[in-house]
Amino acid sequence: MNNYLLSADVGFGLLAFFSIVWISYGFYLGRKANDLDGFMLAGRNVGLALGSATAMATWVTSNTIMLAPKFALQLGVWGMVAYSTASFGLFLFAPMAKRIHQLIPKGYTSGDFIRVRYGNFTWILFLIISMVYSMAWLVSMGMAGGIVLEALSGIDYQIGMSVILISCVVYTIFGGLYAVIGTDFIQSIIILIGVVTIGVVVLNQTDVSSIYQKIEFERPELLKVFMPVALISLFNNMFFGFGEVFHNNVWWSRAYAMRESVAKKAFGLSGLLWLPIPIAAGFIGILAIATDVNIVDPDMTGPLVAASILGETGAIFIFVIVFCSLASSIDSLLAATSDLLTEDVYKKLINPSVTNETLRKFNVYIILGLGAVTWVFCFARLSGLIQVLFLSGPLVASLIFPIVCGLYWKNLNKKIINVAILSGSLVGLWCYFNLGWFTASLASAAVSFAITMISAKISPDTINWEEFKRI
Amino acid sequence: MFSITVIQLLIFGSLVGTALGTVTLLCLLYRDTKRKELW
Repeated sequence: MNNYLLSADVGFGLLAFFSIVWISYGFYLGRKANDLDGFMLAGRNVGLALGSATAMATWVTSNTIMLAPKFALQLGVWGMVAYSTASFGLFLFAPMAKRIHQLIPKGYTSGDFIRVRYGNFTWILFLIISMVYSMAWLVSMGMAGGIVLEALSGIDYQIGMSVILISCVVYTIFGGLYAVIGTDFIQSIIILIGVVTIGVVVLNQTDVSSIYQKIEFERPELLKVFMPVALISLFNNMFFGFGEVFHNNVWWSRAYAMRESVAKKAFGLSGLLWLPIPIAAGFIGILAIATDVNIVDPDMTGPLVAASILGETGAIFIFVIVFCSLASSIDSLLAATSDLLTEDVYKKLINPSVTNETLRKFNVYIILGLGAVTWVFCFARLSGLIQVLFLSGPLVASLIFPIVCGLYWKNLNKKIINVAILSGSLVGLWCYFNLGWFTASLASAAVSFAITMISAKISPDTINWEEFKRI
Repeated sequence: MFSITVIQLLIFGSLVGTALGTVTLLCLLYRDTKRKELW
């Protein structure tokens, strides 16, 4: 088995099997995606089961499975809990999803809201921030796929990354959001069952009280209740999560796709489904101390511990869970980002008279192009791109209050909102480089919040909510 | 310092929560399919 947890043959077999399943299912669902609403928004009639599963599966990235054990190993109990606070973004987006439905019943993207609410300058600013964030997320997922599959089974980085990316591109092209949501449901069930199975089997073979005693003796700091840095990073992660969920078209397109009566419940339920996953995955990291597993690379804590306790079967489970969590995020990003480019950039900026039939075809080319650009970045394996994802934290955090207040408050000064976004982003970036990553999103959100409050007081512009109905 | 009870609650609670989530999703799938409310 060389130095890998799985043999390359098993890895290739799993990779091929799941790629064929996703593409076939996407092709099958593609029969429904005939018109633009079908392709981009799955017919705007998605029910509670599929709606909850797709929101949850998209938010479970490879980081949730791989980083939660690392966080627990390094930051202890707070590490596990800190990661799970990212679910609060989904909880808070639940009422917003209902509001979005009522306000913009015919909307397609998050850009539609920003453009009508704040005008063209804010819209362009928003598109730049959103595209930087989405591309960084997409590329980091593609790279994570190649790295994790290589580390688990020895499959060459370029091959593993290419197979994951190509299969996601192919089924998204065939079935649009129908394929994305349909595969997300199966992927979410596999992830949930996989996490529970690993957790239960591992618990069955270990003893929590003896693990606790060992940690208390060897690494007592992991059990500390008062850890200022961990607490600040907890709130920082929470605000990063708010910014990610509130602004990104991944979530807005799902809000549009769900039935109005379902949207609020689906996002609330997806938050509940997501909440325990980082803790269930994270406690395996704490086991690393008790089981004396030699952790050379902290990113591989989860797989190494699972494989040391469960053998090859544990490694297979981790491989499948990671593959599903990667695919469920990559397909969503491909679909939502291509929607933003199709609707906001091509239709609104370049060709306003384009028909829906042409847009439906154009969207396919955009997905292909997006996949190709992502593949080139992933192939080059630029580690600096991961940095861009973290840097985009303060950028998206600056959008939290302009979006939330813009959805509910009639009176806001549009020009001052631009100042809120720009100042929040700049202060956040300054904090990132000068104070530490764990302060950046918090500072950005705080500055943006203060200026958004000022914009409600100083000669505010009044929006007519009916303007959104004309989209 | 976190007590062992808190740790046990977190671990068992998260596993039970994840298992319940799986069952809930499958039940919702059954209900939506039966009512033809899937899409």
